[in-house]
Amino acid sequence: MLSTAGFREVYSMEGGMRAWDGLAATGAPDAGMSRFPEEAPVEELISLAWSLEEESRKFYTELPSLLSDQDAVGLFHDLVIAEEHHQSMLADLGRRLTNSAAGAAFSGTGTPGDVMEGGMKISDALNWVRGKKLTDVLDLAISLETNSYDLYIKMGRRGSDAKAKELFSLLSAGEKEHLERLAGLLDRKL
Amino acid sequence: MSIIDYFKPIPTMNVAQVRELLSRKDPSEYNLIDVRQPREYERAHLPGARLMPVAELLSLADTLDPNKPTLAY
Repeated sequence: MLSTAGFREVYSMEGGMRAWDGLAATGAPDAGMSRFPEEAPVEELISLAWSLEEESRKFYTELPSLLSDQDAVGLFHDLVIAEEHHQSMLADLGRRLTNSAAGAAFSGTGTPGDVMEGGMKISDALNWVRGKKLTDVLDLAISLETNSYDLYIKMGRRGSDAKAKELFSLLSAGEKEHLERLAGLLDRKL
Repeated sequence: MSIIDYFKPIPTMNVAQVRELLSRKDPSEYNLIDVRQPREYERAHLPGARLMPVAELLSLADTLDPNKPTLAY
């Protein structure tokens, strides 16, 4: 169908989604962006992204206290630092786009009830983690990061601000790197 | 479209090739399309995939860059 519509290089995945055994995101196409109209101002997307990073940061900050595996504790500490770095980049661009002074306070839109990407409350996720195997915890973190990766790819397609597109591309690459690290640790712990 | 087009094989990628493609390329370099139904998409989809159910595919195709490699599932 697409080939005949002028698409030059079209492939089909053998076996479709049933055959796929890699990372998968969940939720509707606009999951995480449902409060925003189709052409939401890029400032709002940046603000939402900042909030999502904040929620992930809180979760990863609390998580090590529930874990005994030092490899995992080290990785989640690194993820906290990475989320802070992402927030800093988002805040810089947000301030630039809103003509705020450098160093001015920047905050996200906030999400109802501290809900993380994927719709899970931080408190529920932390309660769920108690008593779980490390591999289950890593699976949860991988699913959260996969949804963030999915969301940043989609945010990068919206709007026309080149700097914002570049930033969302950087953020999606960052999430992809987190995924590789989490998946690598999971492989070693299985 | 020529009737011959109906008999052209559709190139496929296996899961390993898809994984390699998604790992190697930036998401801006390809089109990734999920042609299933919305509820299937909500349950699980490849990161960054656009939902374009088969029945709507042609009407939505003009939102994609036809010069990029396109993977559908």
